[in-house]
Amino acid sequence: MVHYIPALIVGFFFGWLLQKAGLTKYSKIVNVFRFRDMGVLKFMMSALVVGMVGVYFLKDLGLVKLIGTQPTYIVGNLVGGLIFGVGMAGAGF
Amino acid sequence: MRFLKWLRASEWSPYVAGALLGLLAVLALLFTDHLLSGSGGFENIGGSIVKAVSPAAADNVYWKFVQRPGISWSVMVLLGVMAGALVSSLLGRTFKWRLVSDDQWKQNFGPAIWKRWLALFLGAILLEYGAGIAGGCTSGLAISGGLQLTPSAFLFMGGMFASGIPTAMILYRKRY
Repeated sequence: MVHYIPALIVGFFFGWLLQKAGLTKYSKIVNVFRFRDMGVLKFMMSALVVGMVGVYFLKDLGLVKLIGTQPTYIVGNLVGGLIFGVGMAGAGF
Repeated sequence: MRFLKWLRASEWSPYVAGALLGLLAVLALLFTDHLLSGSGGFENIGGSIVKAVSPAAADNVYWKFVQRPGISWSVMVLLGVMAGALVSSLLGRTFKWRLVSDDQWKQNFGPAIWKRWLALFLGAILLEYGAGIAGGCTSGLAISGGLQLTPSAFLFMGGMFASGIPTAMILYRKRY
């Protein structure tokens, strides 16, 4: 219950940034698979680079703990990704 | 003011928006012990609906342990995403009601609305199913996992492009 407001705030800025990067558009998503517009990758990789540096910096200072997302489960992660990619290229989201 | 003008721009550089997203993820982890997630929220909502309609059908391992029904962190993030994207598009003056959402779609697959909606519906089922198997979507697994350097995130991203590229090739054929 307590964390509903922070979740809304995080989501708000997340949605804001997705919209500003154009990731709400069908063409933006599909064109990354056609190598015509690499916006999705530019966005994701910038987020990853900044996030990695920031998270590991704070971790080394002892301020955050890694929460871990998914355990490595090669078949599941890979097959899930393969199915996800078909849907992503088809729907464009 | 330049800042206000920037705030009202219709689109930002993907590098800037991406870097800000990375910052947002770091702040989220610091202050809330959560990271970005999205697709799980649909499963929590789906679970709640199934539980209300037929409790026996909801009585399985997935909904009991993996994605519990109810209003979760992801559901609230999803609501926030919608609100944020709405405000952003209103400020950028790109907000518009549309049935077929994209010019590129119309050029390649014609103006028929049902085709677009069918592709959206089927594509979304595959998206959600794939995300369910892998344990997350582009935000919940690829970004949140990737910035903690979990191998699952990179396997997922590899899979996503390995199938997305041929799917786009098949759909666009000569126009690829």
